[in-house]
Amino acid sequence: MTDRLAGACFFLLAAGYVWLSTGYTAGFGDPLGPAIFPRVIGIPAVLLGLCLMIWPRHNAAWAPADGLLRQGAALVILLGYALLLEPLGFVPSTFAAVLGLGLLMGAPSIWGFVTAAIAAPGLYLLFDRLMGLPLPVIGTWFG
Amino acid sequence: MDILSSLWAGFAVAALPINLALILAGCFAGTLIGALPGLGPVNGVAILIPLTFAFGLNATSSMILLSAVYYGCMYGGRISSILLNIPGDEPAIMTTLDGYPMARKGQAADALAISGVASFIGATLATLGLTLFAPLLAKAAIYFGPADYFALYVMAFATIGGISGTDPRKTLLAALLGLMLGTVGLDPSTGVARYTFGSFNLYDGFDPIVALVGLFAISEILFFLEQKAQDRKLIPKGRVFPRLSRVKEGLGASLRGSVIGFIAGILPGAGASLGAVMAYSFEKRLKDKGSFGTGDPRGVAAPEAGNNAASGGALIPMLTLGVPGSGTTAVMLAMLISLNIQPGPLLFERSPDLVWGLVAALYLANFVLLILNLPLIGIFTRVLGLPAWGLMPLVVAISYLGVYAITHAAFDLMVMVGFGVLGFVLRKLDFSLVPVVLGLLLGMDMENNLRRALSISGGDFTILLQSTIALLLYGITAAFLALTLWLSRRGNRAPVAEDAR
Repeated sequence: MTDRLAGACFFLLAAGYVWLSTGYTAGFGDPLGPAIFPRVIGIPAVLLGLCLMIWPRHNAAWAPADGLLRQGAALVILLGYALLLEPLGFVPSTFAAVLGLGLLMGAPSIWGFVTAAIAAPGLYLLFDRLMGLPLPVIGTWFG
Repeated sequence: MDILSSLWAGFAVAALPINLALILAGCFAGTLIGALPGLGPVNGVAILIPLTFAFGLNATSSMILLSAVYYGCMYGGRISSILLNIPGDEPAIMTTLDGYPMARKGQAADALAISGVASFIGATLATLGLTLFAPLLAKAAIYFGPADYFALYVMAFATIGGISGTDPRKTLLAALLGLMLGTVGLDPSTGVARYTFGSFNLYDGFDPIVALVGLFAISEILFFLEQKAQDRKLIPKGRVFPRLSRVKEGLGASLRGSVIGFIAGILPGAGASLGAVMAYSFEKRLKDKGSFGTGDPRGVAAPEAGNNAASGGALIPMLTLGVPGSGTTAVMLAMLISLNIQPGPLLFERSPDLVWGLVAALYLANFVLLILNLPLIGIFTRVLGLPAWGLMPLVVAISYLGVYAITHAAFDLMVMVGFGVLGFVLRKLDFSLVPVVLGLLLGMDMENNLRRALSISGGDFTILLQSTIALLLYGITAAFLALTLWLSRRGNRAPVAEDAR
């Protein structure tokens, strides 16, 4: 079943991709132009997607409900970490992310706290101070 | 003689203090990453690449570091296979078959020593093979024209996931997806913005490095969360010192395993897992009298020699043709391309320092690894007792700081997470990630070679079929595809190739 779905996604994606390529017009003196290569790869992808949709073979097993919940929560943390790294600064955002992910992975809460409290400033000292990678120590919200 | 003098010059490069320090650090980090269940060479190398950029290491030093990590992972993977019955990374799966039973019989020290020596033999012989064969292949590859390169890339895509046993349609789709992602951004020859949807952030396209970290490091985190955390139980080591007599029992198997693994490594897309599987099954067929699977030293030595030799072999097509033979070498290729170094036959002429410095560094790395993995093995067995919740979040933090240090853009962090989700979903759906990476990496070059060929012929597509080399390559590709189709019809699923899960 998941194969049919994957095939359909690839079919739509590749079809849209080929369709968009018609908007790219050839440059002067270039035998290929910017539109041909996308078609060379897009059209086989359309056909293969269709083929997968019609003759599926594999069915993916997703995680049980609690696993999916943990994965969803991790995704929220990862996105939040990406968005808040600059506004909050490296140390507070890393603290929060390491704590959150550690708890999701089954850390006892005290130890999760301790790990994050050591890791966030530790990584900053190691990479920024000791090895000279510039990391934002104080975020734009505070500075 | 030519090779000897080149190699001598290579040792002069490898012996620079910075490179020696990187060899030591890489071997240590690699063994550690390999030993930790869940993290393998491809994750380790992907996480480290942004850091090599951020520190401004040159191409030679970066390659030395990453290759030391790669070799180190192959050594390290066996530790948790033997002590926990959980392979530290994919190529070490076969080592659990006889390694864990040996540990249960109180012979963990013997098993670790046998596999350590086997790893050393495999990796050293493969490095020797790399020294001898890579220059030969590079010489032959000089005769390649643009149309031949186009054919070579077609072959690389068709074969990369080939033997891995996944549905060949999915391998091709994954490669095409990578190629499509690779066309995002400004077209290099006409300046037309393709598939950017008006976002200036996308004008440079997707940075392969950012994509790699997402595909391999972030998706691993999502995978890890699938199962509830479980306690690992370390087997007590039993006798402290290994017995020399047991180590000797594995020598023959190590030599045979090395040769088989090396050949498996050179084949595109096969990688270290296949090397280990082939070496084990060969040894079993040759020598088994019912003792394999119950803790036979030869069953430990053969797959370890096989996977180490395969990782050396996989470097050959990557360096000489610019076509990687495994997931990890694909990631290394990404780094070289990002540093504006195009691997391929000319690499041996233009950057002898890099090639020979790397080869020499690999010889040195093997000795470092032998020391780390025999007398100092205790450090790594202790690390295995550390819980995953303490280590995996650090992987995330290091990925973020590495990517941020090279791009300074929150947008790229989001792209990384996006690729992480993409990688997770694709792996769940039984697509392998290596073709995606290859497509993303080689797409631009493939398009450029097609353009070059067509401007030579004035737009005539038949030029693609006019050279003998190209026809030969298309022939090999077709034969290969027919073989995999036939194999998958028979339902004969070969083990999944290294990190191509």
